[in-house]
Amino acid sequence: MHKLFLTLALIVASGLAHAQSHDVQDDRGRTVPMPDTPERIVVLQEPLLGIPILELGLDIVGSYGRNDDGSSMLRVDFIKTVLGKDGADLGISGIGPLGNIDLEKLSALKPDLIIGGESDADKADILSSVAPVYLKNIRTPDITGFSTQQKLADLLGVSDRFDALMADYKSQLDDVRAKLPEAPNGKTYLAVIIYDQINVVSNMSGVIQAIEDLGYRRADLQGSGKASGYGQGFAVPLSSEQFARLNPDILIIMNSYVSADRGPAAIRDRLNAIVPGWDRFLRPHKEGRVLYLDSVAVTTPTVASARHTLDAIEAWATSK
Amino acid sequence: MRLTTGLHGYVVLRFSGGLEIRLHNLICAVILMMVAVVGGVALLTTGSTDSTFSDLVGLFDGDAVSGDVAFAIADVRLPRILMGFMAGWCVALTGAMLQSLAQNPLADPGQLGLSQGSLVVIMLVLVLFPGLPLIFTPLAGFAGGLAVAVLLMVLVGRHHSGGLGILLMGIAVETTLSSVTSILILYAPPEQSHAISSWLAGSLFHSDWSAVGSFATWFVISIPAILVIGRKLRSLDLGDHMALALGEAVHITKPAILIVAVLLTAAATAAVGPLVFLGVMAPHLAGFISPAKGRARLFLAAMTGGVLVVAADGLTRLGSDQVALPTGLAIMMIGAPIFIISLRLRTISQARTG
Repeated sequence: MHKLFLTLALIVASGLAHAQSHDVQDDRGRTVPMPDTPERIVVLQEPLLGIPILELGLDIVGSYGRNDDGSSMLRVDFIKTVLGKDGADLGISGIGPLGNIDLEKLSALKPDLIIGGESDADKADILSSVAPVYLKNIRTPDITGFSTQQKLADLLGVSDRFDALMADYKSQLDDVRAKLPEAPNGKTYLAVIIYDQINVVSNMSGVIQAIEDLGYRRADLQGSGKASGYGQGFAVPLSSEQFARLNPDILIIMNSYVSADRGPAAIRDRLNAIVPGWDRFLRPHKEGRVLYLDSVAVTTPTVASARHTLDAIEAWATSK
Repeated sequence: MRLTTGLHGYVVLRFSGGLEIRLHNLICAVILMMVAVVGGVALLTTGSTDSTFSDLVGLFDGDAVSGDVAFAIADVRLPRILMGFMAGWCVALTGAMLQSLAQNPLADPGQLGLSQGSLVVIMLVLVLFPGLPLIFTPLAGFAGGLAVAVLLMVLVGRHHSGGLGILLMGIAVETTLSSVTSILILYAPPEQSHAISSWLAGSLFHSDWSAVGSFATWFVISIPAILVIGRKLRSLDLGDHMALALGEAVHITKPAILIVAVLLTAAATAAVGPLVFLGVMAPHLAGFISPAKGRARLFLAAMTGGVLVVAADGLTRLGSDQVALPTGLAIMMIGAPIFIISLRLRTISQARTG
C-alpha cells in the first residue's frame, strides 16, 4: 500500500514538475522546454545577454567569461561598469575558460535555463544534457537598441520590470533633451569604435538607442551599403580617409572594450596612431561636437547603457 | 606457441598456425595498452567535480553515486576519452598506411590534402545546408577526401605514385584547399565561422554517447583493416616492383588502401576536426619505441595515436582555468617534444652505428 502511495505521489510530482515548464520556440527555431519561473540562469554571453537580464532584476548563477569566484576573466568587467555591481557579490560563477566550456562546472551550478547567442548554436545539443538551452539572436541585423532586453523580459516573464526601467529612462530622456544647446530634430550623429582600425557602430546598443531617442538621426555615410563592407553585427570597418571627412552634428568616439584605458586621452592617442593629424582637420573635433564615451558602459543593449549615454550627453551639453 | 629467434635476429613468439609476433612489439603493445587503460582511469577520476577511484568502481557496480559525479564520469569524461582514443587511433593508422603507400615517411592525411579535402566539403555542406542532419557530415568528408585522392592519382600518374612526387603534389593541393578554407571562414555567417574555427582547432567538446556510437563503427572497421592491409603493406613497403614479383596486385591494393585511409580520415575529421601532424608523429614515435612492420606497425602506430589524443584531452580538460587549449594544440604540446627527442636520439644512434 505504501509503495502504491509512493508511486502515485511520484506520478503527481512528475506531473507538477512538467507543469512548471512550457515549450517555446527560440530564435533558431528550436523547441525549448522553458521553465515558468527560471531561477538558476546561466548565460553564454555576458555583455549582450547577462547584463540585460541582471538589469531586469533576475539572478544569474553562471556566466561565460567569469572565474569561479565571480571576478571577470577579462580586463573589463561589464557588470561593474554598466550596473555598478560586483559579480562575486551577485553569486555568479564561471563555467570554464573562454573557448572551452567545462560541462562539469556548468552542471554543478544546477542551472534550470541556459541562454546563448547565435554563435552557441553548435554547442546547444551538448549543453542541453545539463539544462534547456534557449538561443537568442543577439547580432542579427534585426536587433536594435533595447530589443534584446525587451524580448528577454517577455521571455522570462518580467515585462513589468522592463516597463518600469523604460519609464525612468523616458523621464531622463526628457530632462536631457531640454538641456541640449540646440533642438536635436533633424541633426545627425555617427558613432565609431576603435579596434585595430576605426569602425562605425551599428544600431544594436544602448548608446545608439539613447541618441536616436533624443531625436538625432544617423548621418549618411558616403559609399556605404550592404555590399560595401564584409562585416556585420555591432560594427563595420571604416577607412581612415573616410573618418577624416566625417562631419555629423555629434560624433561619438569610443575605444575598444579590451583597452585598459578607455578615457578621452587614450582615445585621442589611438586616433593619432591610426589617423595622424586628425585633430587638425576633423570638423566635429575642431567645433567641440565630439563625445568620448566608455564603450563598456554604453554599448550593451540595455537601458542602463542608454542612461550612461544620456549622462555623458548631459555633461557635454552643460559644458557648452 | 613458442619463443624463438627469427632469421632477422629478433626474438619472436611463434604460434602453431604460422603467425609470429616479435617479442618487443608485443611488449610495446602491452605497455601502450596499459598506459591507455591506466591513463584513461586516471583521467576518469580527475576533473572539476571531485571524484575518486571508488566512485568510478561504484558507478560501474551500479552503486549509488552522487548525480554530479555520475554526470562527470559517465556523460563528460568517458565519452571524451573514448572518442579521443578512437579518433587518434584512426588518424595515426591512416598516417601509417599512407606512409607505406606513398613510400614516404612524411605522408599523412594532412600533408597529402586528404584532411583538407574532407574539411572543405564538410564546411561547404555546413554553410550551404545548415539544417542537414549531422549523419551526413562524415559522408561529405569522405566525398571530399576521395576527390582529393583521385585528383592526386590523376595528377601524379600511376607510375610516379611513390616517393617525393605524390608528397609534393599533396602539399600543393593541401595549400590550395587551405586557402579555400580561409575564404569560407571569412565569408561564412559569423556564427558559423565561429563554430568552424573552433572545430578546425580540434575539439572533443561535442563527444557525447551518440557521437561515440557513430564513430565506433569506423573504429571497428579499422581493426579488420589492420589485419588485412597490414599484410599487404609488408609487400608494398618493398616497392611496387618487388610487391608485384611477390604476387601483390598493386593496381588494386593501392587504391583499396587509399579508400580505407580516406574513410577513416573523413570520419575522424568530421568528429573532432583535423588533428594536424598526428598522422606523421604517431607512426614515427611508435617506430622509435618499437620498430615494426606490417600489422604490428599499424597497430602500434594506432595505439600511440590514441594514447596521444587521450593525453592531450587530459591537458585540455585539466589545464589552466584561464586559457582554453584546443585539442589539436594540446596534441602538439605533448607530442612534438617527444617526437623531436625521439628523432634526435635516433640520429645519434644512427651516427654511432654508422
